[in-house]
Amino acid sequence: MAAPMSGVGEASAERSSFNATSFQKKTRSRLISIPGTRPSVQNGQLLVSTGVTSLDYLLGGGLAVGTVLLIEEDRYDSYSRMILKYFLAEGVVCRHELFVAAAQDNPDDILQELPAPILDDVAIHKPVEQPRLSCEPQDSMDAMKIAWRYQNLPKVQSALASSSRFGHYYDVSKTMEPEIRQAAKCHRFYLPEHPTQSSPTHSTMLESYSALLKSLQDVIHREGFDVAAPMTKSRNILRIGLHSLGSALWGDDLCCHDNPNNVHALTSFLYGLRALLRSSLSVAVVTVPSHLIQDRALMGSITRLCDNAIALESFKGSERETNPLYKDYHGLLHVRQVPHLNCLASKLPDHKDLAFKLKRKQFSIERLHLPPDLSETVSRVSRGELAGAATMASGCSFGTSGNKHLDF
Amino acid sequence: MLTELLQGTDAGGFLIIQDSASYSGRHLLKSFINAALHREEAVHVLGFEVSEEELKDGLKGASIHRLHFHNVYTDPLGWTHNPAFTVYQFCSEGVTQLVKQTSQSKPVTLVIDSLSWILRHVGPPAVCKTLQQLRKGGAVRAIIGLLHADMHQRGTVGSVCHMATSVITVAPGMKGDEAVAKITKRSKSGKVMQDEEIFSFKEDFTVVVQNRPSQLGLKQTETEERETDPTANLTFNLRLSDTEREAKEKLALPFVFSKEKKTALLHSGRGSGRILYEPDANDDYDQEDPDDDLDV
Repeated sequence: MAAPMSGVGEASAERSSFNATSFQKKTRSRLISIPGTRPSVQNGQLLVSTGVTSLDYLLGGGLAVGTVLLIEEDRYDSYSRMILKYFLAEGVVCRHELFVAAAQDNPDDILQELPAPILDDVAIHKPVEQPRLSCEPQDSMDAMKIAWRYQNLPKVQSALASSSRFGHYYDVSKTMEPEIRQAAKCHRFYLPEHPTQSSPTHSTMLESYSALLKSLQDVIHREGFDVAAPMTKSRNILRIGLHSLGSALWGDDLCCHDNPNNVHALTSFLYGLRALLRSSLSVAVVTVPSHLIQDRALMGSITRLCDNAIALESFKGSERETNPLYKDYHGLLHVRQVPHLNCLASKLPDHKDLAFKLKRKQFSIERLHLPPDLSETVSRVSRGELAGAATMASGCSFGTSGNKHLDF
Repeated sequence: MLTELLQGTDAGGFLIIQDSASYSGRHLLKSFINAALHREEAVHVLGFEVSEEELKDGLKGASIHRLHFHNVYTDPLGWTHNPAFTVYQFCSEGVTQLVKQTSQSKPVTLVIDSLSWILRHVGPPAVCKTLQQLRKGGAVRAIIGLLHADMHQRGTVGSVCHMATSVITVAPGMKGDEAVAKITKRSKSGKVMQDEEIFSFKEDFTVVVQNRPSQLGLKQTETEERETDPTANLTFNLRLSDTEREAKEKLALPFVFSKEKKTALLHSGRGSGRILYEPDANDDYDQEDPDDDLDV
């Protein structure tokens, strides 16, 4: 079970001194607070930031400790890799420990490409904050002459952001300073360095995944991330980043064949990973090249085995690149699954049509807006058609939109 | 972009030429071999599909001695007693050994004709692993492979191309000797560039690139109609002269208040019936779960 946080106990402590009775409320012993985490406002889970504040908002405030985030990669693995780097960079800034595993690139290369944090907190923008606080009119917004009553109303908040300063912002054009990076402890797993021999026992998991799981287990036990470990020293969070699981370089033919031989290899691994995470103070981000997996049922079961799942679809290379609707964005983001931890229902995101854009200082995820159609060819519905449509909608639905008035 | 690719791949680059039954990519492969030979690189060819004479046909010049052909064509599966190289020996150690036998210390360009042959007999994960090891190892500088896309499942083609730095997909063009190449190139920084070009060959396998294919057929770009000025050609005057515009702006509109009144109206949210409540000691304002003290 993911580590829950007890509620705020301070208010009750103050209140108790005013109580007339001798009734003492039994409060649970509080966990030592871990830097870089905060309790969720919805269900009291301990949350960490993913490094992307818009993504934190989508996931309900952040990633709960003990859960897995699955990212379905885009076609050229540019943006999913970027989110993985944000996640690791956030770990460095919050002084968590890192564990990076990859089969294609050396984890050291991934760690060297982490974006530089913007440490000057004052410089964080956010012009969509409501200007009710300031009495003088803002210079950026031109004062409206006729509609001045609407001047102070907030603009449509299309960029999703959580209200508190939980996550940090990063500058993608610069890489993180080596001093900052070396201050954080990193564990690496590079698959070519672990020569695998074919195991004599027939197991459903591949040797590469078994080796990875074993290595994770060792790190968690050794460094004391187990929940069951004695709480003598200060606790920390382990951030696990697994790059491109399921690709052919991990030895898995999930992406290569329509009917793979090792159908259950990745699913067994994810099951074991989630069991390991639930009993430790760690968070995992896994990227999977889902565009290569042909079996949709298998992709569905992989999604179900992870707690959070998002899919990135970049416009590069597809015909959507030239579509004027999408010209402001770099791709679409689909939320495949949100977790329900210790509760029956989960908080679903308000909007289903989300698009992302990688700017220099922010990875923003916004609701996809239809731009106003200002061309001359906008069809104007005549009144007769409108009336006909209204009668059809109120009665039984015919489904044809070409009918004009029906005379009864 | 095709000419840039022909002029040289970066170290550690992996280029795939994807063809199909309707158009063979071997001509383009020979162009790449030709260009590499002219750049004075040592080229090693693993020939699975065509014989040495057929591959060397048309490639002439003094630099032909830098081309080393490893004949896997005659006996790829090792049915005779002493095969030169079999397809099962396609692993990084085997290929490195083969390349080091005949070449000096300089890293070579490895050309594989074709990858499809290997993928039929050795599984895709092993092939991908070998290619990755060859790229990271020092013996091979660049790899160029020919892949027949219609021979494999989509996932296989996708997995192999996922590892490549550049992919060129060739298809027959409109006219007889022209072909269309769709090129995708991934740079080290993660930037992806795409291009589509029409090309044809000259006698000595040099590539002539024509212009981009024009947008015919289904993709019709809509030409924007020039906006007609609605104020022209009317019997009455809809335009404003400068003095008229100034007068218009000076006009006081009926509901335009002075600035002070505006700000007073805008910020008058307070004081109009807000309920202020301070929870006192008798209220049970408790955020915790009342069942917490049950010792269950």
